Amino acid sequence: MPAIVSQAVAAGGGSTDILAAANNPVLWACAAGVFAVIILQSVIYMKAARKAAPAAGMTPSELKVSFRSGAVAAIGPSLAVVMVAIALLAVFGTPAVLSRIGLIGSAAYDAGSASIAAKTSGAELGGPTYTQNIFAIAFFAMSIGGAMWMLSTLILTPLMKRGGTKLAKVNPAAMSIVPGAALLGAFMALGAAEVPKSSIHVLALGTSAAVMGVCIFLGKRPKLSWLREWGLGFAIVAALAVAFMAHTAGAPAA
Amino acid sequence: MSQTTISTSATASTRTSTTAPAAGTEQELAEFDRTTSRWGRLTMLAGLLISLAGPIYLVFFTGLEISAGQLWTAFAAVAAVFAVIWVVEPATYFPILGPAAMYQAFMIGNISSKLLPAALVAQNRIGAKPGTRRGDFAAVAAICGAAAVHLVSLAIFVGFLGTWLISIIPAGLIDVARLYILPAVMGAVIVQSIVTIKQPRVTIIAAAVAVLIQFVVLPVAPGIAFVTTGIAVAATILASWLARDRKPVAAAAD
Repeated sequence: MPAIVSQAVAAGGGSTDILAAANNPVLWACAAGVFAVIILQSVIYMKAARKAAPAAGMTPSELKVSFRSGAVAAIGPSLAVVMVAIALLAVFGTPAVLSRIGLIGSAAYDAGSASIAAKTSGAELGGPTYTQNIFAIAFFAMSIGGAMWMLSTLILTPLMKRGGTKLAKVNPAAMSIVPGAALLGAFMALGAAEVPKSSIHVLALGTSAAVMGVCIFLGKRPKLSWLREWGLGFAIVAALAVAFMAHTAGAPAA
Repeated sequence: MSQTTISTSATASTRTSTTAPAAGTEQELAEFDRTTSRWGRLTMLAGLLISLAGPIYLVFFTGLEISAGQLWTAFAAVAAVFAVIWVVEPATYFPILGPAAMYQAFMIGNISSKLLPAALVAQNRIGAKPGTRRGDFAAVAAICGAAAVHLVSLAIFVGFLGTWLISIIPAGLIDVARLYILPAVMGAVIVQSIVTIKQPRVTIIAAAVAVLIQFVVLPVAPGIAFVTTGIAVAATILASWLARDRKPVAAAAD
């Protein structure tokens, strides 16, 4: 595979063979590195917790129960993330999906960042203008976005630990409006930008929204609450399936 | 992001006033704090650097033709959209997760859909309140458990199975998935954020702003294509702030 990679990239990155660039062995190594760091962190934390648990008024068995319930609670959501990640493999390749969508970030932020970044170079994520160069720019933008999240965690956590949660108290009115407005503004704009592209884009957008809506609605029933975490995965796959059918039916020549 | 409105002020006092029993236990807890904040920070910094190393290698060392200007523009455009969230999200989750788990959560990702539920289930299971010592320990152990499950399922289903899947899927199918992935993600994400943020006024403003920018402003000034999302975020925040409900924000906690 390395030989193919260097050959494919030698064209100056104008090729649309994203996966050749995305499967670069160094990217695989970095994805594995993130895995290793999280494993290391978990081991250090569990050791420290086991040692100090009695002082926190916690029995060793309560600690074990917490670990186990965390693990069990994560099975469903993890598999739901897996489904979303697999759908995004075609766009970003395995290493980037593992480190960005699987860990650190999430599908919404990272697909959004990637699309915003591609646009700054006059390209569209996933379309014919989505070359290796654009992939690299998008991957860079997603990663530095994730890095900023971690950076602000690194800076804010000690501050909040010392000063309680003053930050949130600064202005409760602003705290209740700004985050929601920022998120809705971002995702609505990203969605609206898809509308003029083609009728199939509109179809995909509508299908995805409808499936998500149904999942959330049905998920209100206690027995179907799992639908809420699977909603995103189902919505993406359904939208892609509908888009595929419309695409092949509408443009047989292409 | 769903917990934006959780009252942060209530937990601030509980955290600082947790029982101060015998000196020995106090010392053990202090050591736990030291270990987790030192290693939490170190591992998170390592994760940050490794996750950046991949794209930096790809951009500068594989023969792609990308200018520094392109990278800065991409970063600026992404920052214009998500910078608010970078700061707000850590501040939002701190009261629930506690300082130690912060360094885990923002590296593992998918916090609201996976880690928070895992932490809450564990806290619930052993009857520990968020924001107390026991609550923090339960969250740490639960997140370790969730991380273990998540890493294993990602490695198996995305790393191995997904990569294999993508290698046998016909190229035509991959092209279609790539072409329509963005609307397929955004449709669901929009519905999800509307439901979790639960602010009809902000939702309407965000939708109006997105439509206005995409279909009125952009056709007049096509040069702004790459900053439209950033503009939409700023305009939504501003308009939502100006149009906010000016009654006392007592109800903001729910």
